Amino acid sequence: MKLQKKIFVRWCAAIIVCCLLSSCYSVRLKNKFGDPEPDPFNDTNDYYRYMKVREIDTTIKISVTDKDFEKIIKDCPQGIYIVEYRNTFGGVLLSAITFGRKRKVKAKYVCLKPTN
Amino acid sequence: MATTRSIPKSSWDTLHNNGPFPLKTLHVTELEGSANMFSKYDRYNDVAKEIQRLIREAADKNEGFRPYGSAWSLSHIAHQKDNMHFNGFMSIHIPVPQEFSHEDSPYANENLFFFECGNTIKRISEVLSSHGKSLKTSGASNRQTIAGCISTGVHGSALNVGSIQDYVVGLNLIIGDKPTDIVYLERHTKPALTDDFASKINARVIRNDHLFNAALVGLGAFGFIHGVVIEAEDRFLLKRYVKKIDRDLALELADTMDFKNSTFKIDGEVDDDGKPLHPYHYKVFINPYTDEQEYVVEVMYKKPYRANYKDPIPDIKTSLYKDLIYLLIKISEKFPKSIPWFIKQLRKTILPAVNEETEGTLYEIFWDAPYQGPAFACSVGIDHTHSSKAYKILEEMTQKEGPIPGIFAMRFVKQTDATLGFTKFPITCMLEIDGVLWEKSRKLMSLTEYSRRMIEVLQENNIPFTIHWGKNSDWQFPNLVEDMFGDKVTEWKSYRNGLLSTEMQKVFSNGFLEDTKLNIPNPTNDEDLIVSL
Repeated sequence: MKLQKKIFVRWCAAIIVCCLLSSCYSVRLKNKFGDPEPDPFNDTNDYYRYMKVREIDTTIKISVTDKDFEKIIKDCPQGIYIVEYRNTFGGVLLSAITFGRKRKVKAKYVCLKPTN
Repeated sequence: MATTRSIPKSSWDTLHNNGPFPLKTLHVTELEGSANMFSKYDRYNDVAKEIQRLIREAADKNEGFRPYGSAWSLSHIAHQKDNMHFNGFMSIHIPVPQEFSHEDSPYANENLFFFECGNTIKRISEVLSSHGKSLKTSGASNRQTIAGCISTGVHGSALNVGSIQDYVVGLNLIIGDKPTDIVYLERHTKPALTDDFASKINARVIRNDHLFNAALVGLGAFGFIHGVVIEAEDRFLLKRYVKKIDRDLALELADTMDFKNSTFKIDGEVDDDGKPLHPYHYKVFINPYTDEQEYVVEVMYKKPYRANYKDPIPDIKTSLYKDLIYLLIKISEKFPKSIPWFIKQLRKTILPAVNEETEGTLYEIFWDAPYQGPAFACSVGIDHTHSSKAYKILEEMTQKEGPIPGIFAMRFVKQTDATLGFTKFPITCMLEIDGVLWEKSRKLMSLTEYSRRMIEVLQENNIPFTIHWGKNSDWQFPNLVEDMFGDKVTEWKSYRNGLLSTEMQKVFSNGFLEDTKLNIPNPTNDEDLIVSL
């Protein structure tokens, strides 16, 4: 009986881990045109190396009557080069238990390089 | 007024992590906004003064100063230990009106464009495209700046075109802090723009083929390249094919470049007599660790531009997990014999898809290449008639003394006029091996050791060669540059020594020039070299 319980707990844990992993992903939307705004001081070893990256990590609260929302990007007058939107299990859960009133927004973006 | 942020920084690295290299200060200059300074010429001249101020500041401290663009070179050519200047925000484009075309110019005015140093190949292509024009060739991607490209000799595989520097027809250099230290260079046999244009950018004109050709691939040693005039051409399409062809045929084409009389024929790519057309581009991919009877080749044919073609850029692009690559490299360092197996498993990611057919502009075919982690590339230039012989020698050395985590490729480029251009042969085969950067281990030789062996085996087999300035090599190898370029080295130095003051020769020097001994002036110099002819 004890052994069966242990196996059950392990399976549950495995399923939860799988859910967490598969619900956590990111998508990049990239402009075909233009250069990324450079940042020679950003020497991280990731996709954004030497690009000026801006991040949004916030939770938006909307009322029950609001259908959707727009988060306004105010610092890219030239346009967007790339946006990476990240979906997390916590974000999905938060939206679900608040009936969509609280929405986690986690995104990175790079503006287009200003042209002269 | 243009403004500069000068930030103390202890190290600097290339995009592909070939460093880090020590540094004192990183400068970033941005132009005055167009709302405050309407004229493009004013903004251009204003930032030139700011660069002159930075040059004086470095000279007064007895320090060096070196501009760089996208940090794409894999060698240490862009590095300077004291002051580095990021050019990326210096990206004005100034149209060239008809009245500025020189009366003896062989170039159509509509094809001449003036770009500031920090414009990338991608941006330039977009500007040209809006005029119905195109660059004649580019490298395999598009993020390099124009000044970086020509300083290091970036090339594609355009058989009848040459490298990027080969369509540059005017150079605006800042060679010091005095008003007369802004110069505009052209060939005297092929002038492009008038003296009036030069006076608009406050430059004194020197029309001299020898000086121009020396400064063209200047390795950052001829001062600060502020702007370039390029010759574009009408926009065109490239029809790209990826095929697997018999190994002997692929190498025979490399050795002879005789496509017309070969058995390599693609439906539709034939002349009126049914003979194969000469392609615009030919590239051979070779995995040195498999004994395959067929090689993958990429061939492109030039077509007139038309609007209705399918966009060749895919809707979705994927790349390998970087962590997976790091893991494979760590395993390779401990167990080098696993490298051939890894390369075989990753062949679908490394090599283009066979039987792929796409069509697009130069801009689209050689589009963005994202950062994919630490990378190396060793690239030697040889006369194309030596292609198969040189490959066999390097393949044998790599198999016997390696393996190393990379695959070979051959690209072919028309001869350059640049004095120290590494595409110096009538048609140069750029034979390169590139892959993931590794660390030396007990069982795996270092990258410098490998590149040294490349030099040694080519010398032992009497194959004349050059090395790509922007790629990895043992740059301290004795007499390397003299062996590659002979008397051209003295000629290049003569014009550098003549153009730049002794003080400025030191300012525009760096570790790369010291390693290659190109910083050492000639014992004697002709006095009157720097004159218009």
